[in-house]
Amino acid sequence: MDTVHLPSRSGSFVTAAAARARAAGATLRRLVAFTLISLGTLVTKAGRSPQVMRPLMTEQVFRVGVKLVPIVCFLGITLGIVIVGQTVTVLQTVGAVKFTGMLLVTVVIRELAPLVAGLVVLARVGTASVIELATARALGEVEALEALGIDPIHYLVVPRVIGFTVAVATLTAHFVLLALVSGYAFAFARGLPLTLTGYFGDIATALSWADFPLLALKTSLFGAVTGMIICYQGLSQALRLEEVGGATTRTVAQCVVGCLCIDALFVPVYLLL
Amino acid sequence: MSDDAVIEMSGVAVANPHGSDVPLVASVDWRVARGECWVVAGQQGSGKTTVIETAAGLRPALRGEVRLFGEPLPSPSGEAMARLRQRVGFVFEGAGRLFPNLGVAENIALPLRYHRHLTAAESAAELRPLMEAFQLERFANLAPGRIGRAWARRAGLARAMASRPELVLLDNPLEGLDPVHLRWWRGFLAELVHGHPWLGGKPATVVIATDELRPLLGIGTRFATVDGGRWKVLGDREAVSASDDPAVRELMDERN
Repeated sequence: MDTVHLPSRSGSFVTAAAARARAAGATLRRLVAFTLISLGTLVTKAGRSPQVMRPLMTEQVFRVGVKLVPIVCFLGITLGIVIVGQTVTVLQTVGAVKFTGMLLVTVVIRELAPLVAGLVVLARVGTASVIELATARALGEVEALEALGIDPIHYLVVPRVIGFTVAVATLTAHFVLLALVSGYAFAFARGLPLTLTGYFGDIATALSWADFPLLALKTSLFGAVTGMIICYQGLSQALRLEEVGGATTRTVAQCVVGCLCIDALFVPVYLLL
Repeated sequence: MSDDAVIEMSGVAVANPHGSDVPLVASVDWRVARGECWVVAGQQGSGKTTVIETAAGLRPALRGEVRLFGEPLPSPSGEAMARLRQRVGFVFEGAGRLFPNLGVAENIALPLRYHRHLTAAESAAELRPLMEAFQLERFANLAPGRIGRAWARRAGLARAMASRPELVLLDNPLEGLDPVHLRWWRGFLAELVHGHPWLGGKPATVVIATDELRPLLGIGTRFATVDGGRWKVLGDREAVSASDDPAVRELMDERN
């Protein structure tokens, strides 16, 4: 009996996997189309209606960026102690202190900080934004904007994407600074023979000039992709109230996958530095 | 297609808002001339709202042609459509679909601030007569959720009127109103049809969707019904009063 069922089970698994892959492909195509439309709106309507748009953008930067500074600072300090402090201690113990700068630049500045900032923004504001946009769509606010001759992409999407982009980039800078300082403070408190100038000198030496624009680009992409996926999931289709939870879960999964894919694209670039 | 036509729909199949391919209303042939006040009556769920939303370019038609102000409807997301929509005021059913993140005054000023780049002070000054006429000054700084449904609907009307539209479409404006609000709305609609001061005393072109004909019988100049997926033009007041169509008699059964 088993030998009869096994091929059909594997067959159904393949069919299900293929269907899943097709659905993922279709979602990706729609997301790309939504992104292109949004980018078109961003470019063609740049500077339009400043009296309305500037406060909206400021509000989003405040909501996504400024309000998250305390939590990012807390994470920067704690992860600085946990990761940087321990790493420096271990390197000191095994006599590999000369690799401190290189290791911290690779782990903290290039990888950990952008991911932490992106995930904090996603968790604290992103999920709420999906619910907010899906509710606005369900209650007919998108049609109300259209009836007033206001482009919903311009009014709802552009400020959010700009807010997320600016927020992830600036929060990353906060995180890097606090993680490195708290890591040094932990190492210093443990009595390690490491001077402040020596510690930051090692990091500065390991940093390449290209690290600055690359970090800005990477964090901006994290923010932009997160913002775009949030707006797509919230607005692309009319959701019933019971579907909003599913859209939020999908948003988290897609944002994490999107950010990791961008991260992977940067690896070969960093290896060339 | 004459010059004074504001809305023209020919052979329009109105799409079902829930996504079905079967048209909600099969074939709409309708012409609204400048200065007319049309009352489109139908039971709840008959498709009257979707008909007027299609006429306003808020929903695509499944087939047929829709023209506004003598021109075919442009692409929904283009600049031409945005300009066209500034000539049309649409008042939504219920609480007017105000934006909850803005105050009442900010909601009303939004189209002026977005399209004409007015500052908050400039738009407030310009809209003061409208706010006074609509008795909304005391709610100006409140969030839409903190005012009653009838006042929110009135604020939705003020928002639609802010840009001084040539065509005003109202979806079930008299639904569930208390006598005081009902009297105000009927007075406003009569003034709108004959020439409201806010619009410079010029009669507006008005379309009202309703599920009760009688309260609007003295206001409308032309009447139509949507019943069982069919569009039917009734004609003027006398034609409605004289109609022995059971659907029309049912819609005339006043409850207010």
